[in-house]
Amino acid sequence: MKRFSTAVPLLLGLSLCALTCQRATRSGGDSAGANTPAGAQTNSAAQQPSAPQTQLKVGDRAPDFELTDTEGQKVKLSDFRGKKNVVLAFYVLAFTGG
Amino acid sequence: MKAYQADIAKFEQTNTQVLGISVDSFAANRRFKEDIGATFPLLSDFKRKTVRDYGIYDEEGGYGTRATFTVDKEGVIRHVEQGKDAIDPTGAYQSCRAL
Repeated sequence: MKRFSTAVPLLLGLSLCALTCQRATRSGGDSAGANTPAGAQTNSAAQQPSAPQTQLKVGDRAPDFELTDTEGQKVKLSDFRGKKNVVLAFYVLAFTGG
Repeated sequence: MKAYQADIAKFEQTNTQVLGISVDSFAANRRFKEDIGATFPLLSDFKRKTVRDYGIYDEEGGYGTRATFTVDKEGVIRHVEQGKDAIDPTGAYQSCRAL
């Protein structure tokens, strides 16, 4: 009887421990799952520095270009020389919010 | 681009021509121009030559990244912005005002 009374708490303790461990493992698994998007973010953040950075700087001559507008008219940067300042706004249509 | 259109009168007051440039097709740009009601030209750099010349072409993605260059009347670059900062035209406008 005495042996039994010591064995019961011991068994209870062990099963409690097992349950706790199981939960810990599960929550560990869950958090790993939850981390996936965060991991993806880290990857995209890691890719950002590889985005091309222009070597052109203030004081450099702007490379000339001749491009076609939506009306089929040719537009040349050098056409504005001596007449107007020009702001070149490069955008990505697929990613643009506007 | 919408933000540039909203501020277009301010740019005109500083004797500045705004040119939107993307590697998208002529047709896609035309649709976009209509959608946002842009009154300034949207140029198609479908050959990717200009984005390469300006060093903003992402070879892997096949597109030019977002960037803004202010060029003065002598053809000299007076202001450069790249990435998210280039969405807001404030920096470009201030550089034009200073010219």
